[in-house]
Amino acid sequence: MISRRPFLLAALGGVSLLVSPLRLAAAEAPADPAAAFISRLADAAMQTMVGKGVPDQERAARFRTLFTTDVDLVEIGRRVLGRYWRIATPEQQQEFLRLFEDIVVLTWSTRFKDYGGDLRHTIVGTVDDGDRGLTVSSRVERDRQQPIMLQWRLKRIEGGFRVVDLVVEGSSMAVTYQSEYASVIRAKGDQIDGLLSALRAKVSDLQSGTSAARN
Amino acid sequence: MTARRPSPSTAARIAGSIVALGLLAGCATPPPESDPEARAEWDQVNDPLEPMNREIFAFNDFLDTYAIRPAAEGYRTVVPQFGRDRIHDALENLKSPLVFANDVLQGETDRAVQTFFRAAFNTTFGLLGFVDIATEAGIPAHEEDFGQTLAVWGLDEGPYLVLPLFGPSNPRDAFGTAVEWYGDPVDLVLVNMGYEWATWTRSGISGLDRRERMIDTLDDVKRTSLDYYASLRSLYRQHRTSEIANGHDRTPFSAGSSAGAASR
Repeated sequence: MISRRPFLLAALGGVSLLVSPLRLAAAEAPADPAAAFISRLADAAMQTMVGKGVPDQERAARFRTLFTTDVDLVEIGRRVLGRYWRIATPEQQQEFLRLFEDIVVLTWSTRFKDYGGDLRHTIVGTVDDGDRGLTVSSRVERDRQQPIMLQWRLKRIEGGFRVVDLVVEGSSMAVTYQSEYASVIRAKGDQIDGLLSALRAKVSDLQSGTSAARN
Repeated sequence: MTARRPSPSTAARIAGSIVALGLLAGCATPPPESDPEARAEWDQVNDPLEPMNREIFAFNDFLDTYAIRPAAEGYRTVVPQFGRDRIHDALENLKSPLVFANDVLQGETDRAVQTFFRAAFNTTFGLLGFVDIATEAGIPAHEEDFGQTLAVWGLDEGPYLVLPLFGPSNPRDAFGTAVEWYGDPVDLVLVNMGYEWATWTRSGISGLDRRERMIDTLDDVKRTSLDYYASLRSLYRQHRTSEIANGHDRTPFSAGSSAGAASR
């Protein structure tokens, strides 16, 4: 239990802040390598997201590079397909991974595209779970809006890290995709091919949306 | 005190018939015991009423596409960002008594004190709550509702439920919403003073405010998902779980930032 005193002090400190509401942004130098890795990745992603005048295809290409180097899409895809991964044929697995990469790239490269303001990314902390990997917590501040809380799940690879999940405001992206795709497979009579054709349709949908928005 | 909102009998009747219609759609059949993995997935998804829920979801989506989202868009067009922020801050401030009550009911003393001081600062220096100066001063806002309180008390969420108009929920959160609908302290006072219209105006504006703030997120989920219903179900349930746990997850963090404010 946190004692009340720090809070009351904070409240008083707050009153003094009213006089000069300029809050000093804490200069942040992440000491641990995981935080540094996420800091670099998030900055690159955000620059790509809010970068103005970047054609959508270029935007998508940059995201694809980021995702294939710093994110373990194969491991995520495997987890997303869950119990269906084992019953899928190797061809289905390969096609799924390819389509999944397309979906993820197209989804994230257009997110925040129309957002005109600033995105600021701050590392909050790192928790090392040993063999189970690491979790880096961070938040994204936007103009005049509540910050978005993020948790990056990392695994260790030789000489660095790779992202295996991103949790946005408590919702894991991997869990959400998994739940959604399982529901699609069930609706298509437990056929993985049903999911693959739905994915193909969505990818071409998103691509035409991108090219249409480009005009 | 017998103060209540005017009985929303028409709304209740409409909601009742939609639920009845949905029940006709029936329940989903669970996978056989012989398939333990499918069974585990079924338990994890926690949506035995899926056929009914999907019907209500389709109805909500229709309503949203043709009425609610356009209204939110209109609100965004007509009222500039600055105005919307002031309205949002005022609405949040009006929710303080409710948040305070839930903080207390959950035994979150520190958060209750924060809510109290936020309301005190914002109502006075913050010009009746229209300017959220407390956040600037290092006392950030937090959300609490009676559904979360019930969860903290150990009540199980029950099966996933899509409510007409209100959207994703479950029996526990639906009950929480109903209790807040009738038990909101600010509304009770307004009704007792004879300003029933004010409570309805407040509900309407909060609905607009909430929907306007979600326009981009929901558009994005809808555009990029294969199954909008399943995505929202998963997002809602995960977000809810984290909100309930948050009181504890975030305590060290908010304490850290308060201490930071104090040192300045």
